Amino acid sequence: MKSALRNAYYFTLSRYSLNPNPSLLQIAPFISTFPSLPSVLSRNHPFRSPLCATLMAGGDYDSLQTSPLEKQFEKFRVQLEDSGSLRERIRAVVLEIESATRLMQASLLLVHQSKPIPEVLQKANSQINVLKGLYNKLAEVVRECPGQYYRYHGDWRSETQMVVSLLAFMHWLETGNLLMHTEAEEKLGLNNSDFALDLEDYLVGVCFMSNEMPRYVVNQVTAGDYDCPRKVLKFLTDLHAAFRMLNLRNDFLRKKFDSMKYDLRRVEEVYYDVKIRGLATTGDSVGDQGAQKI
Amino acid sequence: MLCSSSAAIKRISVSWLIMANNSNFKSHRLSRSESSTKRPRTMSIHSSLKDAFSSYADHLNALNEKRERIVKASRDVTMNSKKVIFQVHRISKANREEVLEKAEKDLAAVRDQHISRLVKELQGTDFWKLRRAYSPGVQEYVEAATFFKFCQTGTLLNLDEINASLLPLSDPSLEPLQINLLDYLLGLADLTGELMRLAIGRISDGEVEYSERICQFVRDIYRELTLLVPLMDDGSDMKTKMDTMLQSVVKIENACFSVRVRGSEYIPLLGSSDPSSFLVGVSDVEL
Repeated sequence: MKSALRNAYYFTLSRYSLNPNPSLLQIAPFISTFPSLPSVLSRNHPFRSPLCATLMAGGDYDSLQTSPLEKQFEKFRVQLEDSGSLRERIRAVVLEIESATRLMQASLLLVHQSKPIPEVLQKANSQINVLKGLYNKLAEVVRECPGQYYRYHGDWRSETQMVVSLLAFMHWLETGNLLMHTEAEEKLGLNNSDFALDLEDYLVGVCFMSNEMPRYVVNQVTAGDYDCPRKVLKFLTDLHAAFRMLNLRNDFLRKKFDSMKYDLRRVEEVYYDVKIRGLATTGDSVGDQGAQKI
Repeated sequence: MLCSSSAAIKRISVSWLIMANNSNFKSHRLSRSESSTKRPRTMSIHSSLKDAFSSYADHLNALNEKRERIVKASRDVTMNSKKVIFQVHRISKANREEVLEKAEKDLAAVRDQHISRLVKELQGTDFWKLRRAYSPGVQEYVEAATFFKFCQTGTLLNLDEINASLLPLSDPSLEPLQINLLDYLLGLADLTGELMRLAIGRISDGEVEYSERICQFVRDIYRELTLLVPLMDDGSDMKTKMDTMLQSVVKIENACFSVRVRGSEYIPLLGSSDPSSFLVGVSDVEL
């Protein structure tokens, strides 16, 4: 009986020789408290017993329970290391997205210096294809663990919000309209993908875009474009009204939406300044002058 | 020509009525003929914006309502799992079988009545998107289930085993609710606190060997977890749990030490208030 014990002890030692597991050294005292253990060992071929699942079915022999315990945790460690390395790859792609975004932003800033819009947009548009490629790269990486988009979503959330705000601003400069959620997805090449553009990211991006409006309007008026405030005011009013249709929780999106009304107010002030001084030159201002303010 | 001018007159008269009723410039402006070309364009832009945002609103409403239902179910899971834990704590040499029997029944009830609600709500991307809503409940359930298993067999309930027990709750055609690795580890960290309480309690009852087994078990878990904590996604809560866990391990070790050292003085059935009890001076169990 003693030799069976010794065999099991040495076997487990050799099996886990690389594992700094102090609990193994305590097998001996524990075995003494479980007198039935040696008989089980001799029955079940001690050379295989630490790895044999059937031994564990007994349930009370926790000295050898470290095996399935350790196996499970070893499996966990591998899983966590894999997800860690996946996260690193995601981070690498997101950094590239960030730098492409910064280039886009830098060229869009020229619009405040009243460079002609088509010229500004051309430079910014060239980055869109870069972004498209990067987002597809990101989608490929995330596709390796299906269903876990939202596990890693935080790693690209703020960058995506910035991208959406720039795309929406560019779309507005081109067309005067709001870039829709599906249109934004198309621009980034994500419309047919399982890697979607999260709706809340899109909405926050739109709010960031509205933050740009007051500054744009002020600079346009300074440069002499007196029609701009009217267009911007109309756009922003519609946008704000549309956002009011949403029921928001008290989260980040709500805070950004709240800031939109300050942008709206700022644009209203600029519009008012231009109007009362009769600087706006469209037929609109003539019609307004004809109306009697009560 | 005549029609358009009569229409224009009608529009202007309407506009004066509107002006009389409110001083809103915009409605007055829209009634002007030169704005009539703008009106259809305005309306179409506005209505497409309206349509789009009403679909966004529907999406967000559905998401938030689902989140609320999940939070409610998670709270019930937490509450009832805690009851299972308290039930298992009532264990002693005398009533072991009946305590464990009742605990098993209660644990099954948590699964059938409350976790099933989570199963109904969660599909696809929900598992990770809404994880923060149901994670506390799941952690508490893991704590209760592993605690029960340890008292029953002295072994650790595996993640695979616990997930296998949840499979029957789901419709085979749908994705089953499977507890993810992170929630399992967080629940395991809480388990060690309960085991510490159990160990101290068993020592008072005289079951010193049982407590030593608990000590060994908790040490194993702590050791395994130290390798995993740095690798976990947002491991900050886990780090604080590890500190608490080490304190639990030390408490158990100190209690076992006291029994060994003062073994000759130890008389079973004396409470810790007795001045000769080895538990005098041991710090209180913190909740």
